[in-house]
Amino acid sequence: MLVGLLINGLVSGALYALVAVGFTLVIGVLDKLNFAHPEVLMIGGFVAVVASGLPPYYAFIAAFATGGLLGLVVEFAAFRRFTDADAKITAGLASMAVGLVLTDLTQKVFGTESVSLPIGGGWLSRRFQIAGVEFLNVQIVIVLATAILTGGLHVLLQRTRVGRQIRAVAESPVSASLLGVNVLRVSQAVFFVSSALAAEAGLLLALRSGAASSDIGLTFGLKALAIMAIGGLGDLRGAMLGGLVIGVLEAFMFHLGLGRLSELTVWLAMIVTLMVRPRGLFSSGTHGLEQRA
Amino acid sequence: MTSVLLSVTDLCAGYGPIRALRGLTFQVAERETVAIVGANGAGKTTLMRALSGIIPLSDGEASFLGRNIRGTSSHHLARAGMLHVPEGRGTLQTMSVEDNLRLAWEIRPTAVTFGEALEKAYGRFPRLRERRAQAAGNLSGGEQQMLAVARALVNRPRLLLLDEPSMGLSPRMTGEVFLSLAELRDDGVAILLVEQNVRRALQLAQRALVLSHGVFAASGPSDELSRDPAIVASYLGQSHDAPPDNKRHIANDPRR
Ligand SMILES: Nc1ncnc2c1ncn2[C@@H]1O[C@H](COP(=O)(O)OP(=O)(O)OP(=O)(O)O)[C@@H](O)[C@H]1O
Ligand SMILES: [Mg+2]
Repeated sequence: MLVGLLINGLVSGALYALVAVGFTLVIGVLDKLNFAHPEVLMIGGFVAVVASGLPPYYAFIAAFATGGLLGLVVEFAAFRRFTDADAKITAGLASMAVGLVLTDLTQKVFGTESVSLPIGGGWLSRRFQIAGVEFLNVQIVIVLATAILTGGLHVLLQRTRVGRQIRAVAESPVSASLLGVNVLRVSQAVFFVSSALAAEAGLLLALRSGAASSDIGLTFGLKALAIMAIGGLGDLRGAMLGGLVIGVLEAFMFHLGLGRLSELTVWLAMIVTLMVRPRGLFSSGTHGLEQRA
Repeated sequence: MTSVLLSVTDLCAGYGPIRALRGLTFQVAERETVAIVGANGAGKTTLMRALSGIIPLSDGEASFLGRNIRGTSSHHLARAGMLHVPEGRGTLQTMSVEDNLRLAWEIRPTAVTFGEALEKAYGRFPRLRERRAQAAGNLSGGEQQMLAVARALVNRPRLLLLDEPSMGLSPRMTGEVFLSLAELRDDGVAILLVEQNVRRALQLAQRALVLSHGVFAASGPSDELSRDPAIVASYLGQSHDAPPDNKRHIANDPRR
């Protein structure tokens, strides 16, 4: 029972973490808050709908590509021109506008009701047992995908040329460009990766719930914001840990019959955390990248 | 004859209403080492920033390897072979010593492998080898300055812009740094050097320009300038080893 609860919590937490990691990556490297991020997550869910006839493998690639491309669009439409320090709010608002457009377009195509996945059942919802604990295949898929994606991000940042350039820009765009780093290309790479992770999270979320809906962006986005604040804005480890902890806490709250209250968990946790540590669990801010993703 | 690397004509630059540079004209030829000396606030750092594209020219022209510096972004200039080591070093504090060096090496494809380049830099600065895995921010000020110069060693630029490489260094480390610079110079790297330790600067450079309130007040071959009574009085003083103003401020650090 307890183990099952823990697993449920970790699975939700993995999804939170995936969204929050992408969200916080843009803050950590570029010092920008991308309010279109949750809507890219939402669109990831509809990738699951569109690709439902194909092997799941394709859906993952499609979500990654769709999310990444949307990230490039968002960077161009909402952030490219607003580079001054005092244009940060303008850029945030512009990204919110892009997010609203994405929601509207999705509703034009798929309607405002949630769309269930045609073969949402099948293999993903099959159960199996290990040592008396029951698992769903989709839970394993979510945990594995999250591990691979965040592990991949870690390797990208720590071991590759692009990763070194990203870390350099995170610390100082001027110093980086004096070393020949193209800051614009790095921004694009960061938006691409961040949004690709969001779309993957949306895909996984849709696979778990068996449906995609155009109104999850706001709820999920606000939650991810709170999780980022708990973890420390811009810190990948913090987002990861915060996501998992909130997922587990929510599962237990729900179990205790505090169903309604479980939605408040994340906010209570945020208030308490920030009262104790005003800058979040890991207050490394933009410098949190060299630690674990 | 050697060709011109950097050509500057009537360059003006500043910060909003502040006109820090008011019409500078000079050239740096291939393999040449030129020192720029001048009092605090004369505009030396501003000149370096304008040349590497961090701040725009408000008037005049400048070109590097035939490229107009106006309208060429910093990273293109860096890739073309202009390495600006800014005042306050510009090392990446959160990255390891080795990642700093690798970043500098990766940008400019050369025949030298990273391993070879690294060996050479560590050979010159053994301290850095000991600290290779440390974040640059955990190095002492002097070690960070070594890292900044080591980065130039692995980057192998065509033109090195150096803003006060001896800042905060002990006399012995200053000696090490200048030995490395002499090596780079002898390898054919052109250097434009801003340095408070004017004696050392004039020893390294073939010629020097004296900047005063945004204009050049004097210029000439180093050995002539070091005999000029006015220069001696203003910049060389009596002391033989200590620089006239061994300041440690990092107020103009371009990092945000
Ligand atoms: N970011 C800035 N904003 C406004 N004015 C500036 C800025 N940086 C420098 N200045 C001004 O421009 C002038 C030239 O400054 P600069 O930093 O180029 O001097 P410097 O010759 O490098 O001096 P130092 O020897 O102290 O490094 C000074 O009057 C300075 O006050
Ligand atoms: Mg200066």
